[in-house]
Amino acid sequence: MSSLWRGSISYNKYTQIAARALRQSLQENQRVAAEKRGLTILRYQKWENGVGGQQVLLNQPTEGKA
Amino acid sequence: MLARQSLARARGPAVAAAAAPTQARNMATLREIELRLKSVRNIEKITKSMKMIASTKLAKAQRAMQAGKQYGVANAEVFEHTPSETPAKRKLFVVVSSDKGLCGGIHSSVTKQTRRVFADKDSVVEKDSPIMVIGDKSKAQLSRALPGNLVMSFNQIGRDIPTFADAAGVADLIISSGVEYDSVAIVYNKFVSAISYESAIIEVDTEKALQEAPGFKAYEMEDDVTKDLAEFALANAIYAALVEGHACEQSARRNAMDNASKNASDMISRLQMQYNRGRQAAITNELVDIITGASAL
Repeated sequence: MSSLWRGSISYNKYTQIAARALRQSLQENQRVAAEKRGLTILRYQKWENGVGGQQVLLNQPTEGKA
Repeated sequence: MLARQSLARARGPAVAAAAAPTQARNMATLREIELRLKSVRNIEKITKSMKMIASTKLAKAQRAMQAGKQYGVANAEVFEHTPSETPAKRKLFVVVSSDKGLCGGIHSSVTKQTRRVFADKDSVVEKDSPIMVIGDKSKAQLSRALPGNLVMSFNQIGRDIPTFADAAGVADLIISSGVEYDSVAIVYNKFVSAISYESAIIEVDTEKALQEAPGFKAYEMEDDVTKDLAEFALANAIYAALVEGHACEQSARRNAMDNASKNASDMISRLQMQYNRGRQAAITNELVDIITGASAL
């Protein structure tokens, strides 16, 4: 069976999604401990000619506020 | 100080004018010394508590580092068996530091290492090689030193122990950014001991370099899987560097706050001595005045 995700997302993204699914399926105690391992509040910005662009959150929060 | 002042008074009215400001100056400096003493005491409390916090964080960070390094070691296994024939001309430098300060020379250590590689005339690395920075402090330093090479920067990593999700996010952004490079060089701080660190570089090959390497044929992997391996290897290496850099930062912060507390307590004892001497001198002067006045009657 060829992988369906191959064209649209990278391998890292694929493993992160699979890991998130696994974490959400654990029992309560283990889930709380595992959720911490999946946290990321990464922000990035692109630079052109020594000038930085807008800072963008990698995972947009569901509340809609950047 | 007392002898000098009585001498000044004995010399006559011409020098009496000089004596009065000295006395006034002493009273004023007594207040100043008191204020300084209070503020240095506050600073000592703050740096001591920061040192305690950094110590507890260091223990946790070191444990995470031991676990994370295993990823880096397993990662490097494949690359050891498949060395590349041609040295990489265009390297992508990923500089790993953090957003917070008060941690000694962590950020400047990585920045200096990057600048050294670029300044080195003998290296084959192209001078317009792209640089990506993790952490605001190094970003500020590098945007002043090598502004043209900066391509992307990341922050909000390093507040707590870095997670693999952070590393995977960074690796994803690097690959999807479309920057051209032959290999990735991750510049980070290597944890030598609890009181010392040094900057080091991890090299990660790209998918193309892996496929062209002669030793790779022995693994007999499909192209798709090679691409996955290259991406995963990049995330692994970034994770190992992030975790080790975090541990170095906590240990450097602890040492810096330890030194600051020691300096502060030295300053406190010195100022305390000065204050006591000044207080006693003021009291003695008043006594002398009273006694001279009394004996004149």
